[in-house]
Amino acid sequence: MNGRIDRSIDLGPYVAAPDDGMIICRCEEVTKGEIRRAVHDGMFTITEIRRYLRTGMGLCQGQTCARLVKQIVAKELDVSPDVLEDAVARAPFRPVPMRVLANEAEGRTR
Amino acid sequence: MERYELIVVGAGPAGLSAAIEAAKAGMKTVVFDENAKPGGQLFKQIHKFFGSKEHKAKIRGYNIGETLLREAETCGVEVVLNATVAGVYEGRELTVMQGDSIKHFKGDSIVVATGASENMVTFPGWTLPGVIGAGAAQTMMNLHGIKPGSRVLMLGTGNVGLVVSYQLLQAGCEVVALVDASKKIGGYGVHAAKVARTGVPFYLSHTIVAVHGEDCVKGVTIGEVDAAWQVIPGSEKTFDVDTVCLAVGLSPMAQLVKSAGCEMNGIVPAVDAYGATSVPGIYAAGDVSGIEEASSAMIEGRIAGAAAAYQAGYLEKSDFESIVTAHEASLGSLREGMFGPKQRGRVQTVTEEGIVLSQSLLTKGYLDESDLAHFPSIQHGKTGVYPVIECTQNIPCNPCQDACVKGCILIGNDITSLPVINAEATCTGCGMCVASCSGQAIFLVEEKPLESTAYVSFPYEFLPLPEKGDRGIALDRSGAPICDAEITAVRTGKAMDQTHVVTMKVPLDYASTARFFRRR
Repeated sequence: MNGRIDRSIDLGPYVAAPDDGMIICRCEEVTKGEIRRAVHDGMFTITEIRRYLRTGMGLCQGQTCARLVKQIVAKELDVSPDVLEDAVARAPFRPVPMRVLANEAEGRTR
Repeated sequence: MERYELIVVGAGPAGLSAAIEAAKAGMKTVVFDENAKPGGQLFKQIHKFFGSKEHKAKIRGYNIGETLLREAETCGVEVVLNATVAGVYEGRELTVMQGDSIKHFKGDSIVVATGASENMVTFPGWTLPGVIGAGAAQTMMNLHGIKPGSRVLMLGTGNVGLVVSYQLLQAGCEVVALVDASKKIGGYGVHAAKVARTGVPFYLSHTIVAVHGEDCVKGVTIGEVDAAWQVIPGSEKTFDVDTVCLAVGLSPMAQLVKSAGCEMNGIVPAVDAYGATSVPGIYAAGDVSGIEEASSAMIEGRIAGAAAAYQAGYLEKSDFESIVTAHEASLGSLREGMFGPKQRGRVQTVTEEGIVLSQSLLTKGYLDESDLAHFPSIQHGKTGVYPVIECTQNIPCNPCQDACVKGCILIGNDITSLPVINAEATCTGCGMCVASCSGQAIFLVEEKPLESTAYVSFPYEFLPLPEKGDRGIALDRSGAPICDAEITAVRTGKAMDQTHVVTMKVPLDYASTARFFRRR
């Protein structure tokens, strides 16, 4: 689906909006303005936005903001949100403390 | 590494049902759930379910949850709580975090029943403490016994928004308004009507402009939206609230199926009629495979569990087919009616019977007096006590039919049909139909022209209960006070399951309008 986004499109200049300061990704405290600006910086996919801004990389792993980020990016690109592929789902699906992972490596609790 | 024949992820209605069906067939089955309590949303659902007997209609969600847990135990299903499935790997291997360790499990089959999470919408102030999901409000009230706030505004009029608004009222909160950007109320009319008659206003074609407050919610401004969803200047209204609830839809929690490599159909895994995904041995059931009611999730779970058992050789083909056929018929009937998936997005103007739908119910949450005459089950001016059934939309539900031992109420085989009053039968005024109606849409009326009074019996699910002799004000369908009223009877009983039938005496002229009671 990513292929459908035309990398050469002219988004026009970034125009500041009154609600740019609104937080979208609560876990990583990323604002709407930052996401919009990232699109103008060339981040056209959810994965790119995620790596660039860390949206959806915090405690809730995008459970709250994934849809919101998609809507903002889609609007900025002037495409339907359905065109944008979701970020890749990978383990761990829920936050796992490092010490728990370390326990496994040392075989302490198995 | 421990091996199970079936691993179910999620101990909600779908997951438990799948596990039960598989274990019954003989599979060694385990259910993992990240929560401390099993049941998923069922234990938060204190309302009576819709459907017919086979769908556990008129039984409250938490009681259905108890039954499922008992059944799971009897069948030998192992339910492991505080167990977070953190990853899925090649060959149906799962890593599960339990306490301080990660354990590895292998499932011959896996049923993913991870459910859904609440959607959010953004507006200035949406991150203030006090802006919460409707599901969160439900969790606070019904699982933890905590009142989410004192004055609440609800955004969203789907069934979640309507049902949770009613529960907020039951918990003693004031619900100042129900708001929806859509032109029409999204959920069942009966759910809207039971909220409206307590006096809660509906604002359709409205959205939240901003939530006010520095470190918590102090107020909210809503505004009317035009055809392009833009707020019309000058249409703003501000409410003094401490809580804003969002009931704006659910999104499937599909990370596990996605990560397992299941083919996706948009935001849900592509599944066949048995819930099987594109990855052999992995099934999906319940909200994760498409948002529906818990009643449907339970049936989808049963089918997926049976399919896994059949695959593993625990069920004969004929047994499997008969199980699936029965469940598919049951699922099919739940999906009928004007709220069913086939009708999504369609504009409907008449019922299946050809009766013009009440626009007032769809926009204000209550039937207008001009609508009443169109519906034959909304009777008036009869001799003796008689039922008035304000059920005007085709929804899959029929407990009222069985509740009346006199056979006054007829629905027939098609459970979405509107109830019809049987003219041959005589109402004894027992009130069982009133208590049986999950939508609280049945009333009993007895007109006494010689005394110039009328007795109106209505369903009541608030505490404290009114007492015989209490005087107060009768409210009409919109919640507006209309006349003095005196409570003449309060009936409760085990079979009524906490839907109390309260009777009030009102002046005769108000027999067809008085529908609720408020103490002075």
